[in-house]
Amino acid sequence: MHNKSEVSHINGKDVPVVEAYVGEYAGGKSENAVNRALSLLERGRQVTLVDLDLVEPFYTLRPLKQKLEKTGLEVLTWQTDETIGLGEAGYPLRPDIRWALRRQHDIIIDSGYGVEGAKTLNLLEGASQHPYLQVLAVINISRPVTGTVENIIAYVQSLGRVTGLINNTHLGDETTVAVVQEGAKVVTGAAKKLGLPVVATSAVEDIGVRLGTADCMGNPVRKIKRYMPEAFW
Amino acid sequence: MADKPIVGEKRAFMTGNEAVTWAALAAGAHIMYGYPITPQNEIMHYWTRMAPKYDRGFLQTEDELSAGFTCIGGVLAGKRAFTGTAGPGTILMQEPLSMAEMMRIPMVTVICQRGGPSTATVIYSQQETRLTCFGGNGEGYRLVYSTAGQQDLFDYTIKAFNVAWKYRFPTFILSDGYQSKMREPLTIYDPEERGIKMVETEPLLGGTGIPGVDRDPRHLRNTYNMEDELYQVVMDMDQEYKRIAPEVVEYKAMETEDAELVLVAHGIVSRATEGAVRVLREQGYRVGHFRPITLRPFPGEALKEAVAKARRVLVVESSMGQLAGMVKEELYDLSVPVTGYFRPGEGITAEEVVEQVRGR
Repeated sequence: MHNKSEVSHINGKDVPVVEAYVGEYAGGKSENAVNRALSLLERGRQVTLVDLDLVEPFYTLRPLKQKLEKTGLEVLTWQTDETIGLGEAGYPLRPDIRWALRRQHDIIIDSGYGVEGAKTLNLLEGASQHPYLQVLAVINISRPVTGTVENIIAYVQSLGRVTGLINNTHLGDETTVAVVQEGAKVVTGAAKKLGLPVVATSAVEDIGVRLGTADCMGNPVRKIKRYMPEAFW
Repeated sequence: MADKPIVGEKRAFMTGNEAVTWAALAAGAHIMYGYPITPQNEIMHYWTRMAPKYDRGFLQTEDELSAGFTCIGGVLAGKRAFTGTAGPGTILMQEPLSMAEMMRIPMVTVICQRGGPSTATVIYSQQETRLTCFGGNGEGYRLVYSTAGQQDLFDYTIKAFNVAWKYRFPTFILSDGYQSKMREPLTIYDPEERGIKMVETEPLLGGTGIPGVDRDPRHLRNTYNMEDELYQVVMDMDQEYKRIAPEVVEYKAMETEDAELVLVAHGIVSRATEGAVRVLREQGYRVGHFRPITLRPFPGEALKEAVAKARRVLVVESSMGQLAGMVKEELYDLSVPVTGYFRPGEGITAEEVVEQVRGR
């Protein structure tokens, strides 16, 4: 079920999974981050999920905190009732988020959107020297801004350090296997030119089952459940 | 410079604010004027990202008053210009919007409603309905489209530019925070390829030739000396507004022919009420639905027809009767009682509406 190769070992020693999800607004960063954190947790690993979305008052991990923490996941985010004037007033960085990268176990970071969102990674102490930090750009080619190989390349290059791409192509409830496979082709084409790996193609459960373990380009498939519709506010 | 922003048709997945931006690009809008406010921001974010690629302009002003007035300036110079705002920004923008009414300036304004009064929430409401339709110190000579999702936002944003420039009344897209932020698929297209011709723009000031000799002089005024003078101007405007109203009004009626109860809702709430009608019909309730798409001018005649056989009208809205007031005015001489399910500043689901209807 899980793709073992997605967790690394160096000299037989388990290496913590430390990944930041960056990318377009409404591109699927949070959904992919939540699902990745939960899948690592299911493998018995200790995981901290970090909400670094300082921009967006909607569709963040905040409303999911309690639900996710019942699974054993640690979620670093404000609770809605701890805040005032979301989207209107400033959003202070929690100290536990600032120092999150000092943790020795798996860390999954959901960053804010776009170039400014990717820059917020710099707010985390040790981000620039972290030995394991992977920065993954989540791409949905159904969004015109990242709809073609050229657009994806231009977009990813604007984000700063990126170490891999995730094909998260979908059309909401209208998603088909063909839509996802087309995304796999375009994202893989862009990845090749960028010299980056496609870390995974992600798709909701029923589409994922039909895709099998790899997409048409040989990228591993991650099956995801949709949590974010519950996170509107 | 890139070619057309959209070539052909494409199924896409995006937020409402992005849909507005893509529509404005596809419609050939020349420039946006704006000042940031949630939940409108991403219209500006996307516009400023895309504008340089397609040689369009953007001006961030110091506030919404300036955004409105500079937008008027853009239109005066012959630009297909628009602005967008929300909540307290909509309040501030009333002065330029009133000026646009008085001077018949075809500016397009996108309103992304948030909670009120005042700063309230950045989330959602339908509490800017009255302000969008009747704000300012005039008579509400505005054209207002209330959208219900991404496809609407795309289609009606394109339409708004054409309607504004054809009829020369300030034109509005009345959206809300839910539509701004929610994500769903839609078809984006190049209007020309669908046979939609964009109405040509022209400078309203500084035309070529000698005024009075080569062309009619154009005297744009928002200031008058005498009561009678103003009276005549307003009455002429009123006549023109009433003349074009039948061409402009849009609505959607659903299952109203035999309906004993007609639900009335606009904007995103109509998605819930339409859903409720489908459920209730399956359960044997004779329920119909009426959605005004234009709130100004209001499709009053069509509403009267839709409720002709109804024993009751239930207005459902995320404000405290702002739509119900308009409905009551239209139905004043009918005996059908009008009641309301009002959730100011809060979203409404189909399940809630079903519950409301069944509970009675």
